[in-house]
Amino acid sequence: METMVEKVQALIAEALQVPVAQVPPELAFGGIKQWDSMGHMGIMLLLEERFGVPIDADVIATLTSVAAIREYLENARSKE
Amino acid sequence: MTAQLQITSAVTIPEHLTSEVQSKLAYVDEAILRARVAGDRITLELREQVTSPRRGKLEEKVQRVVTMMVQGAFRPKVQILEDYLDRPVPYAADPNPELLARGEMFQEANGVYTLGPLVTRLIQFFEEQFIKLADSFGAAPYRFPTLIPARYLERVNYFRAFPHSLTFVTHLREDLEAIDDFAQHAACDEHGLTTPSGSFAKFQTLLSPAVCYHLYFSLADKPLPVGQLAATAVGNCFRYESINLASLERMWNFTMREVIFVGPKDFVLQNRETGRQRMRDFFEEIGLAYRVESANDPFFIGEFKKQAAFQSAFQLKFEIRARLPFKDGTLAVGSYNYHQDFFGRSLNITLPDGSPVHTGCIAFGLERMAFAFLAQFGLDAAKWPEVVRRNVMSGE
Repeated sequence: METMVEKVQALIAEALQVPVAQVPPELAFGGIKQWDSMGHMGIMLLLEERFGVPIDADVIATLTSVAAIREYLENARSKE
Repeated sequence: MTAQLQITSAVTIPEHLTSEVQSKLAYVDEAILRARVAGDRITLELREQVTSPRRGKLEEKVQRVVTMMVQGAFRPKVQILEDYLDRPVPYAADPNPELLARGEMFQEANGVYTLGPLVTRLIQFFEEQFIKLADSFGAAPYRFPTLIPARYLERVNYFRAFPHSLTFVTHLREDLEAIDDFAQHAACDEHGLTTPSGSFAKFQTLLSPAVCYHLYFSLADKPLPVGQLAATAVGNCFRYESINLASLERMWNFTMREVIFVGPKDFVLQNRETGRQRMRDFFEEIGLAYRVESANDPFFIGEFKKQAAFQSAFQLKFEIRARLPFKDGTLAVGSYNYHQDFFGRSLNITLPDGSPVHTGCIAFGLERMAFAFLAQFGLDAAKWPEVVRRNVMSGE
C-alpha cells in the first residue's frame, strides 16, 4: 500500500512534470529547478484538487518540502 | 463612432481581482478603448461598432481571460505594515489640469511626458532623500543603460511573465536598399509610423523595464565577490500599459531610483525592513498620507494566478500606496521587494558557500512620488510642508 510520503512524492512529481525518482523524501522548494514559484503553485493547486484540503495563503508559504506537505495532509486527515 | 459592449462574466469575479482583470482586458483586442468591471458585469467601450463574427470572437476572448485569471485563484493574504492613509492633507483637487495649464506637464505621446521646472525640482528633492537612504546602507552607485539585451530578459522568464508590457528596440537593417527605401517612404500619420516592409533588423535589445535587473546581469555566472552587496542607481524604465496609461500616474516611460541588496537571505530581508523603517520617518516628516501593504506584480494572464498567489503567500512585495484625494484612491509610489533566490538561481550568482544569492530592492517611482505629493499638497508651494518648500524653492 502506498504510504503518505509516496503519495506526496507522486503528486509533486506530477505537478512538476518530473520522474518520481527526482522527488526524494527530503526534497524541498528550490531543491530542483522545476520546484520554483510556478512549480510550487502547481503543487498547491494539485494538492487542493486531489486531496480536497483547503490551501490558503498562510499555508502556501509553509508547505515547502515533501515532509511539510506530508505532515499537513496527515493533520488534515486526523481532523476528519 | 464608439460603441459599447456589455458582457456578463461566466465565472464570478471576486472583488480582490476586479482591478487586475479590468487592467488585463486592455490586451484582449485593439478595438477596446476602455474596460470596466463591476461585479460580474464587464463593459467595453470600443473604437467602432463590431459585427457578429468579430463580436463573438471578442466575447470569447474576454471570457477566456477572466476564467484564466479567476478560476481556482487563491485569495491573497493582505498584510498592512503601515497605515497613515487618514493623515490630513491640505489639497483635494485633481492636479492634472493645473499641471497642464502651467506647462509643468506636457504630453508628447501616450504615456510619455515632458515635465516642467517645479515638478523637476520636486523630483530632485525626492531623489536626494532616496539617495540619502541608499547612503545609509553604504550602497555603491551604479549607472545602467536604458537598453537591455533580449537574451537577458529571456533568462529571467520576463517574456512569459510580462509580455504585454515589453517595449522593443530595433534599427534599420544594414542594407543600402532597405535604408534608401525607408528614407524615401517612411511617413507618419495619426496612427504612427508607416514603413516599407522588411526595414528592420531582428530585435536584440528592448527598453529596460526595471533598474535592478542590470545589476543582477552584471553579476551573473560567477560568485559574488564579497559575499554581499548594496547598490543604488536611477534609470529610465519602460512598461507599456495600453489604455491603462494615464497622466503621471501610469507612464510608459518613467524613472525609478532603486536601492538593491544582493547576498544571504537575512542580509536582504533585514535591509528591506530597515529601509522601510527609515522611509517611514521621512514620510512622517513630509506629512504624506499613505499605506504600506502587500501586493503583487502585474503578471500577464497565463502566469498571473500562480505568480501573484506565490508573491502574496511569501510576502515578497509591499507597496507604498499614497492617497490620491481627488479620486478617493491610492497610487503605488514605491515598493519593498524580496525575490528570494530567483535571480541567484536563474543567473547563477553564488555565495561563497556555493548556494545562490538572494536579492531584493527598494524602488521608488519618481514621477509618481511627485504626482502623489502634488495631489495631496497642490501646486502652491506656500502650502507645502516646510522641509519640502525650503529645499525645492531654494533652487529657484
